[in-house]
Amino acid sequence: MNKIAKLFVTFISAITLALVSFTSSFAKVEGEYIVLGSAISLTGKYSSNGVHTQNGYNMAVDRINKMGGVEVQGKKYKFEIIYYDDESNPKRAAQLAERLIKQDGVHYMLGPYSSGLTKAIAPVTEKYKIPMVEANGASRSLFTKGYKYLFAVLSPANQYLEVAIDLAVEKNGGKGVKIAQAFEQDAFSQDVRLGILDAAKRTGSEIIIDDKLPKELNDMAATLAKVKAVKPDVLVVSGHTKGALTAIRQISEMKVDVPMLAMTHCDAAKLSKQHGKKSEFALCASQWHKNLSYKDKFFGSGKKYAKDFQKEFGYDPPYQSAESSAALLVFKDAFERANSFDRDAVRDALVDTEMQTFYGNIKFGPGGQNVAKPMILFQVRCKGDDCENRVVAPTKWASDKFYHPIPKWSERS
Amino acid sequence: MEKVKQKDLILYSGLIILGLAAPYLFSAFKVQLTYLCVLIVLAMTWNLQGGEMGYNTFGNILFYGLGMYLTASVQVGMFFPLAEWTESGGEKTFVHTTAQYFQGIGVGLLVSAIIPAIIAGAIGYAILGLRGHYFAICTLGLGIAAGEIAGGIEIIGAGQGFTTPPFPAEIVDTEARGKFFYFLSFALLVGTFIFVKYIYGSRFRLILNAIRDNEDKAEAMGIQTMKYKIVGWMCSAFFCGLAGGIMGGLIGYIDSTDVAFDGREMGVFMVLMAILGGKGTLWGPVIGATLFHFFKEGLWTLILGWQYVALGVLIVVIVVYFPEGLMGWLREKYPERFGEVIDEKDRKAQVELK
Repeated sequence: MNKIAKLFVTFISAITLALVSFTSSFAKVEGEYIVLGSAISLTGKYSSNGVHTQNGYNMAVDRINKMGGVEVQGKKYKFEIIYYDDESNPKRAAQLAERLIKQDGVHYMLGPYSSGLTKAIAPVTEKYKIPMVEANGASRSLFTKGYKYLFAVLSPANQYLEVAIDLAVEKNGGKGVKIAQAFEQDAFSQDVRLGILDAAKRTGSEIIIDDKLPKELNDMAATLAKVKAVKPDVLVVSGHTKGALTAIRQISEMKVDVPMLAMTHCDAAKLSKQHGKKSEFALCASQWHKNLSYKDKFFGSGKKYAKDFQKEFGYDPPYQSAESSAALLVFKDAFERANSFDRDAVRDALVDTEMQTFYGNIKFGPGGQNVAKPMILFQVRCKGDDCENRVVAPTKWASDKFYHPIPKWSERS
Repeated sequence: MEKVKQKDLILYSGLIILGLAAPYLFSAFKVQLTYLCVLIVLAMTWNLQGGEMGYNTFGNILFYGLGMYLTASVQVGMFFPLAEWTESGGEKTFVHTTAQYFQGIGVGLLVSAIIPAIIAGAIGYAILGLRGHYFAICTLGLGIAAGEIAGGIEIIGAGQGFTTPPFPAEIVDTEARGKFFYFLSFALLVGTFIFVKYIYGSRFRLILNAIRDNEDKAEAMGIQTMKYKIVGWMCSAFFCGLAGGIMGGLIGYIDSTDVAFDGREMGVFMVLMAILGGKGTLWGPVIGATLFHFFKEGLWTLILGWQYVALGVLIVVIVVYFPEGLMGWLREKYPERFGEVIDEKDRKAQVELK
């Protein structure tokens, strides 16, 4: 045994040396670069939305750098982002946040994709007092933990589909409706559910189906069979991209007739492209739509952003990309107002943020959530085989009237 | 027990000193080092089961996840209403004082060691009659089922997940939390190692080996194999539960399927690490886990997006070229270093015979 002991000692000392040589570059601002860190889901169940997020970040970094960068104390700086893949796993995300901060010396963070991962990272950034602007963690419980360094450019998750219930009640002549709902077992979707519960209580609506869907969501036939049997007025489904795709696929396969279908993540799932006419009339909650009339000097209008994004990445930007781009605009603005790289100065500047971006107005509430921007609802509408997302609520931006009720499958061509 | 040799003594004291000094030497790597300790513990306990007893289990993740939820629940439940803490809206804020935090985690860890061990006993009684693949598949189901069940229990946060108590704010030192969890996990590692080493010198190990090599013969010799199998699994569960409890506190957020009952990652990793190092050896899992962790931390980010492909290749390479693990490979190459006496004349004679 003692001979291997020697071997082992050699091994350990080799590792020790390797580790010591590892601990080298530490800088929040390197030369002319401001280094931001982000753990993003490039693999795993959130990989498609993770890529949307990353594209949004990259787009904004390029644009800001091209247009002169960030001016702090009279010197121009450029943004640079260090990415790691969190594999859609909260444990990994927390570990990577620690790594970004402690080993890569990052002093400013951009959020990951999804509420669950943001929940895992927030305690870490909070511990090291690292300001984090996140664009994809909407769960309400993120904003009630008293985090001081967390800023979200989006509206909290419980607001996503509340409006849809109000719409349904309005169409029902102000009387309560029967709601069937199915939500994925994750932080975000469960929060959307809470919003619906509140709305149901407020409007005197009744929830007749309340199902939970597994995380790797590929099948919800059991829920849909029940929906067929009890005939609710509204069917609400939320389960990120996979949830939206699964719902439309199975609703059309099983020919489930329901007067109103409300969902999340339709644009991230590219529903109108992937399922075409099958997805028609689906009502979707969104943080942003390109037709909104907000403007800024970097991206111009939403439409211009969409065009540029399309040119660069080859698809229409979902709101996940837009809000991610907005996060960088917020950071740039805060750095310039703070006129310093001191973390607390930047944090204080973030608190005072009040600006308009192509994505919407941004002003942070006491919990860190964006309170200046309403959610919007759009509906998938088709002309021939060409389907598009049309804004139907709020009325200020509505390009189309809300189509209700959804025709039965037997009457659809 | 055999007397501890002088060289071993030097080795062990060297390792302990290194372990104690590590968080100061490599301050930025504390979290990774904590992970390393936990990974080694998981690999060693898996090795008791899969390596020594020959019962390949994927179910140890069950005890790890249980430990995680139990520690966090006890830590919160001792001082505040658990249901309100995990309530999805989470409108109320509860703050642990320093004393409460440490008392909570202490009691929580105790519970997270004992209850998984009891559960292992109960489940073991039911399923340890299965052998070979049947046992492996059955335990695979355990972890998955536990994840789904935990995802439906409101009081521990269900699909929303469970945010574990934050480290007390009264402790201003931002390094304190990292150190605390590192030393906790290091203590667990030392404890586990001493325990496993003790088992290696005991009759218990011989019985486990007998079960692995030929269970029917072992029974025919009058060994009550069921009893020993259950006790063996309970030992694994005890340490797995503790490891889970520490990890829960370190990560700060427990998700039912991605963090706690994470069979896809941790559950597979613990098997992989033990096999990489060499199952059925004392040092194999330690070396396997260390190498694996370095591979993962070092290369993972260099091959963004391809890391799981690389992991797959690694698994294939291990199974094809090192079926007995690194320790097994070394043992074959340098048998004399493992204290195996080789009669040179005899070996030469055999070679000539061929």
